[in-house]
Amino acid sequence: MEKWDVVIVGAGPGGSYAAKTAAEAGLRTVFFERGRKPGEKNSSGCGLGQRWWRDFPEVMEAVTRMPSYRKVEMVVINMVDEDLRLRFRCGTNGSDLCAGRFPNRKGMEGASVYRMDLDPYLAELAVKAGAELRTSTLVTDVIMENGQVKGVRTERGEPVYAEVVIAADGAMSTMARRSGMRNRWGGGCTNVLQLDYACDEEMMDDVIGDAEWCWFGGAVGYQVNFRSSFHISVGGGWLDRDLKGYRRHDDLKSLIDVPAFQAMCRAVKARPREFQAHLLPWLKRPVKSYTGGMMLVGDAAGFPCPLEAEGVWHACYSGKIAAETAAWAISRGDVSENALSEYEKRWKASFLGKEHEFGEEFVDIWEGAIMNREKALEQLQLMLEFTMLQPFSIVFDWADAHMDCFNHHLRHFLELAPQFSDFGRTYLAPLARGVWPSNVKRILLMLKPRIPVLRNLSDRNYFRVMARLFRQLAPFLDPTAEQDAPLPRGSLEKRGGERR
Amino acid sequence: MSEGRIDFKSLVKRVDADKTGDFISYDPEKCDGCGLCAVICPFKLWSVKEGKARLAPRYQELCLECASCWEICEREAIDFSYPRGGTGVVIEYG
Repeated sequence: MEKWDVVIVGAGPGGSYAAKTAAEAGLRTVFFERGRKPGEKNSSGCGLGQRWWRDFPEVMEAVTRMPSYRKVEMVVINMVDEDLRLRFRCGTNGSDLCAGRFPNRKGMEGASVYRMDLDPYLAELAVKAGAELRTSTLVTDVIMENGQVKGVRTERGEPVYAEVVIAADGAMSTMARRSGMRNRWGGGCTNVLQLDYACDEEMMDDVIGDAEWCWFGGAVGYQVNFRSSFHISVGGGWLDRDLKGYRRHDDLKSLIDVPAFQAMCRAVKARPREFQAHLLPWLKRPVKSYTGGMMLVGDAAGFPCPLEAEGVWHACYSGKIAAETAAWAISRGDVSENALSEYEKRWKASFLGKEHEFGEEFVDIWEGAIMNREKALEQLQLMLEFTMLQPFSIVFDWADAHMDCFNHHLRHFLELAPQFSDFGRTYLAPLARGVWPSNVKRILLMLKPRIPVLRNLSDRNYFRVMARLFRQLAPFLDPTAEQDAPLPRGSLEKRGGERR
Repeated sequence: MSEGRIDFKSLVKRVDADKTGDFISYDPEKCDGCGLCAVICPFKLWSVKEGKARLAPRYQELCLECASCWEICEREAIDFSYPRGGTGVVIEYG
């Protein structure tokens, strides 16, 4: 009978990082991959955010030497309208504050790299650490005894026993389903179409530079740029929404039909070369991530970021925590469901948990205002009017006397403003609890000298008066509130009186 | 470069597409003919005939292995596993 300390299903980033961590902890570890080699069945990819420099610096160093690597120093946002015309283009701002947050000023530096480069490298790290990799092997079932996962069964029917199973088998997770943890996601999951283009490397440098591109408004998609290629990823919308009127491929087709996109394709000499589709869990909150003898990591647990949908960091990060928890549980001789609840405690207390703290609010913004085409176009219109009010637009609008031009735009913006306040009330106000109490106080102190009746009060009394006048502020001004952390969920609703 | 000129099916690479085995199964008893599987499948491998979903007989050679049909089916009439290890779609970039 084959028995291991840890059996890992899947050699994607989550599985391989779990295997590396488990092997380094001295656990006898095997990990299974259904492709002929890791990366061959990959399902995404692959913009790596700045946080990689904090959490996996050695991996990022290696990434910068991979063939497909392109540095990411900014994200270029392309806003297109209903007729797919490019209306404006802006970029993220790499301030010193961001760059300086990590060592070597890496706080604004991300990376794009193909999964076909990344996955084999991560698997190799695990093998070097002592884990055994079995490729071309599909795991089809779990072995259950008294409600406890005891191992897995491969497609050839072979039983492989383990103290702990780590399921890193992706969005559809056969392990989660066969163990009865869940079935379909039943909402909160999208399908992504991804089209890859080979390009001219020099032209990529000249036209694209060290940047990711995004397309929003009348066409929505991510454009991940590699050394001599790029791909576009287009989410087909949440699978729980009413799809009756949905025409397949339309979202992808819209993006391909954008004239500015076609112009970029001509400039970099883009030639389509690969097409794939995959499920992407995009959840308001992750599901239960453990049962007796088994933990779920990465997409299997629904960990991808609720705001920008990166999942590779989340896979590696949760894989690491799961393997550490396995080592801890095995050393105590208890791998029951109760013992493995430690996994959830650990990831909730980590950066991963923090990221999901605002999942509900983040997903609402996408669902309501970005993936929803009608709403997205409304927001685009408001943004266009808003950009018309900034100095450069006023200087270069010479259709009329400049002050008149400004007033025409101001009037139009004010007419549209009620829509904007709807957006603010519905989607932005719920995020207010994320503003640190210390920053709320800073803002109030800036106002204090301008309020005649209050400016002579002590700061303490001023905050007390403000909390009484504006009930919504009370939770932020509560002296017992943690100063540099978001308020707990529900605190605004409870204390702040009316919301919405 | 318009979509009309991109042949998506030709952009999917496969290995041993004849050895994948059956990896999508379907229970007509549970199907209510809602047609969401036909809507969501990127390659139109599902259709609805006489009130029941029907899967293209040569789906193994065409399926993208995304499992969207499994996820979308509210009646849970569709079960999806994966092709045998080492067969099916191969992604060279990602």
